[in-house]
Amino acid sequence: MTMAEKLTLPATTLPPDTDRRRLGFRLTLPAQVLVLLISLFPLLMQLYISLTDWSPLSGLMWPRAWQMWNGLANYADLLSDNRLWAALGRTAFVMAVCVPVEFLLGLALATLFMDEFPGKRVLYSILIMPMMVVPAVAGYMFFMLFQSGGPVNDILSWFTASPVTIAWLSSPTLALTAVMIADIWQWTPLMFLILLAGLMGVPEDQMKAATLLGAGPWQRFRTIVLPRMRTIIVIALAIRSIECFKIFDTLFIMTGGGPGVATETISVYIYKITTQDLIWGYVAAIALAILLVLSVACIWAMKRLAR
Amino acid sequence: MSAIRLDQLGKRFGAFTALHAMDLSIADGEFMALLGPSGCGKSTTMNMIAGMERPSAGRILFGDRDMAGVAMGRRGVGFVFQNYAIFTHMTVRENLSYGLRMTGRPGSEVASRTAATAELLQLTPLLDRPSAGLSVNILQRVAIGRSAVMEPAIFLLDEPLSNVDAAFRAVMRTELKQLQRQFRQTMIYVTHDQLEAMTMADRIAVMDHGVLQQVGTPLDVYNNPANVFVARFIGAPGMNLLPGVPLDTGAGMAVDLGPLGRSPVLPPAQAAALRGAGGPVIYGFRPEQVALAAGGIALQTEVIERIGARTIVHFSGPVKVGPVKVGPVKVGPVKVDGVKAVFDNDLALSVGEVAHLAPHGGDVRLFDAATGRALGGH
Repeated sequence: MTMAEKLTLPATTLPPDTDRRRLGFRLTLPAQVLVLLISLFPLLMQLYISLTDWSPLSGLMWPRAWQMWNGLANYADLLSDNRLWAALGRTAFVMAVCVPVEFLLGLALATLFMDEFPGKRVLYSILIMPMMVVPAVAGYMFFMLFQSGGPVNDILSWFTASPVTIAWLSSPTLALTAVMIADIWQWTPLMFLILLAGLMGVPEDQMKAATLLGAGPWQRFRTIVLPRMRTIIVIALAIRSIECFKIFDTLFIMTGGGPGVATETISVYIYKITTQDLIWGYVAAIALAILLVLSVACIWAMKRLAR
Repeated sequence: MSAIRLDQLGKRFGAFTALHAMDLSIADGEFMALLGPSGCGKSTTMNMIAGMERPSAGRILFGDRDMAGVAMGRRGVGFVFQNYAIFTHMTVRENLSYGLRMTGRPGSEVASRTAATAELLQLTPLLDRPSAGLSVNILQRVAIGRSAVMEPAIFLLDEPLSNVDAAFRAVMRTELKQLQRQFRQTMIYVTHDQLEAMTMADRIAVMDHGVLQQVGTPLDVYNNPANVFVARFIGAPGMNLLPGVPLDTGAGMAVDLGPLGRSPVLPPAQAAALRGAGGPVIYGFRPEQVALAAGGIALQTEVIERIGARTIVHFSGPVKVGPVKVGPVKVGPVKVDGVKAVFDNDLALSVGEVAHLAPHGGDVRLFDAATGRALGGH
């Protein structure tokens, strides 16, 4: 057999490119249908309901919601829904505080963990633990910690040497603080883990080279570590921002969104109007609007930061 | 003040001693190669000079200044890493100017010195190229330039050619040597490749098992190895070493090589050294310094290796030498896979034939079989 014959063999035995693609499509078809059913169907259903005034109390099955068609009225309503905007504002505030604090704490811890020190393994395990606590359990934990006769006040009493009886969870301002502390406690470890992985990926030689060229610790961080960790930082911030936007379980158990609406974030608000007001047409409109805004914001931020 | 002195320098990692009390003086402007097999302590020595590792014992002096406690960023040392450690997220210009920028030099100075260094290293047309994806020889120049722009008094190079393919190494060696002439700095060059050390260095420090074995000019180390390790390590192939005992033949001194018979009679200098030996010796000769002659050591030809310019002949062995103690450590046992000899290509010898090897008497080197040290002064 000559070399030329050998080389032409694969082209004749394998199907042409388009055939192969069609085969691939057919093979993945069941999975694709499943994905469509799981993700696309609810989305379309939601879109449909959001254009109606449908409610489970209306006595109609949802496919017949067109009988209560009201066009874009739900979308118009949400623009003037003050409670919605307040909840959005609160959620944004929680994000604006928690994500940077978690990032900075996580980065500081990760930097510390790049060095060797006694007890590192044990501390590492302890540090990771909050992440493994079920959020509902964490919520109950912090609910108890922040009682007016609870451990947090006790500790503060020792420090100030006078009895402290702050009603954390029933004060409009402190309740949100308590919720944010719980969130930071639970999710700093995730930041820590992601950033530690990033730091370990920074080539040691380059750090040494920078040191030998006279760069100090902060200069090394700014010129070598940060540029090399950019992608990982973007991912960490994106994950936490999205998660933080959806903050619900811990918060709901600690405050139930209260006192009043003082800790009512967007998820809590949607939960409440879903289960209490039962205006599902409107709920669907809010959810879709948020999905749209969040997706656009995420894509924009990723594109900007990843550059 | 860029002379370097190592004074009883030592390094231990837990129970493992990477470097035993090492004394070494490197003159201002000298090109010193630290040569040895991997794990011999040469890189450890280099890292301690750069300040990346802290000595367990002894001192490092730059001029008269003790470097203990001087941070690595303040030692004024240029370091070229084995993989060059180029900042791949920066352009060539950003790499070159990095040190100047980090030490807060004014912008005009940064620009002019970067430009001058780039010119010297012929990097000017590449200044604004991203440094990722440049070829190895350019990366090497960037790595050297990045250190050189800081005008360090001392340059340390850690096996800079080890990840370059063999054909290109020759080019890079010449380039490096020229650069050293231009910069006129004290250079320490770590390598396991004797060819690099022999061709570039003013002096070579041969190391093994964390012990400095010998310091000398390339020719000195080649001609007069201080012990059996250096004799085996330097030269390609290394020196042939055969165990034996001194023998007075009546016609002059020779070495009784046991089953291999007896060596040719030695010239006066070697004979004197042999008389001074207390007991068994090791008879050494370079594969290049051998002739085929009657009365030589009779050996059977096993392999004939034609490498182009020369022909290397392997004779039957193997012979074991040692173990011997060199300083505080044991060396060997050195397994000699038979005796080798290098001849011209017109060699009239075929496999299986018995050859009579007569080493050039003046080039024979003798070692004490107990200590491995060279006998007599050559």
